[in-house]
Amino acid sequence: MAVEPDIALRIRTALGNYLKRDPKIIRPDHRLRDDLGLDSMATIELLYQIEEAFDLQIPDQDLQKLISVGDVIGYVEGRLRPSSPARATGRAAKRLPAKKKG
Amino acid sequence: MKNRVVITGLGVVSPIGIGVGQFWKAALEGRSGITAIRSFDPFPMETYRSRIAGQVADFNPSQYLEAVHAERVDRYAQFALTAVKEALADSGLRMEEETPHRVGVIVGACMGGMVMGEREITTLYRNQKPHRVHPNFIPVITLNSASGIVAVAHGAKGPNLTISTACSSSAHAIGQALTCIRTGQADVVITAGAEACITPLVFAGFCSIRALSTGFNNDPARASRPFDRARDGFVMGEGAGALILESLAHARRRKARVYAEVAGYAATSEAYHMVIPREDGADVAATMSLALRDAKLLPAQVDYINAHATSTPIGDAVEIRAIRRLFKTRAERVSVNATKSMVGHTLGAAGAIGAIVCALALDTGLVHPTVNYEDPDPDSALHGISAETRKRPLKVALLNAFGFGSNNAAVVLKKFVR
Repeated sequence: MAVEPDIALRIRTALGNYLKRDPKIIRPDHRLRDDLGLDSMATIELLYQIEEAFDLQIPDQDLQKLISVGDVIGYVEGRLRPSSPARATGRAAKRLPAKKKG
Repeated sequence: MKNRVVITGLGVVSPIGIGVGQFWKAALEGRSGITAIRSFDPFPMETYRSRIAGQVADFNPSQYLEAVHAERVDRYAQFALTAVKEALADSGLRMEEETPHRVGVIVGACMGGMVMGEREITTLYRNQKPHRVHPNFIPVITLNSASGIVAVAHGAKGPNLTISTACSSSAHAIGQALTCIRTGQADVVITAGAEACITPLVFAGFCSIRALSTGFNNDPARASRPFDRARDGFVMGEGAGALILESLAHARRRKARVYAEVAGYAATSEAYHMVIPREDGADVAATMSLALRDAKLLPAQVDYINAHATSTPIGDAVEIRAIRRLFKTRAERVSVNATKSMVGHTLGAAGAIGAIVCALALDTGLVHPTVNYEDPDPDSALHGISAETRKRPLKVALLNAFGFGSNNAAVVLKKFVR
């Protein structure tokens, strides 16, 4: 998957800021929960910041796909360049938001 | 037989000091913590009728708290966490040696997480992007965020409650903690009151209700003047107080130092008016009387009253009327002071801070001054109110707290005798 170095860097920087860790040690294969220790609320807060940084709205049904740092990078890239090969990642985001539960 | 309940630890965050040592020293010196509000950006302070408050200056949560807890909650809950941390350390209670389900947390809070609350509401209406409301908004503004985070921080798995009765919230928190331990629901209750709502909207609301002092904007230290003829409204404050309450048996078992015994409590409603107290003071007198009865004490045995005394023209007069009504000739002999003369009215924290003062007064025999009590108002003056610190043998103290919603609380504390 083609990855925009700029997007990857910005996401790792956002993660580093959120986790108060050096972005350089955050790798794409790090899983948000199992490797970086983000609980579900922390993941939501991180994605909130990523939405802000990239002017995106991430629908609920896309959240479950975002397991690793690389997933987030690929997802954001796909959303920002809908015609790129990463389109598959971004496709779900184009659907209208599903009905909210609860 | 009901369990006896004692206070074994204290902690405070206040406009006159963070930490009990600093707070008590300042209180005995009669130092005012009331200062000008620097800004409610973007609104010029001139657009507010009142421009002063009892502010906790330079509070840096990272100095006291772990980020994992502090960053989850609003300023008021950070105050609660800080005060609780001090109180727990002071008590010598080691959570790792306690049964978690026997340690409860009861916190009083009036307005809750309004710093973030106001920011998010403002942003929503300005930017009109509902999807940009912060995910932490709901857990932060929910009124039990302080009691929740205190439990999380210390692993206290017993009853976890928040009492919200406006300005009497944390007096009721202490009363409910007493009840909780008396009835055997818990051995220990981490009890606190916390408030931090010197924010553009809340402050404007209190201005609008014409409850705040406006005549001393250029002389903040003189603005909070309970019982004085020139008083013209309360001064908003912020802060937190925490007290470790535990059963006497539990305190004895771990050889804890005891500040005072919590001996009685009463909760009443005047069922009268949402913000105005009944002028004759009958319900306030009844509340004090019920609390003394609960403590099996008579009015004649009371040595000291930490008055609610917010420095409003009506409120102070009603409280004094109630004291005269219940205590009769003893009213002139009982020591009375107003902690709010120095820290302002800390709303949800006021009862807890007042209870800390009661515990310290019983422990040391010192009654801190009521500052700015310069020209006693005949309507709200008593011989036992003084602008100087007084030393007296104290055995029984009474804490008063009254809240909007026609709500009254009184708590009786006793010098601890084995």
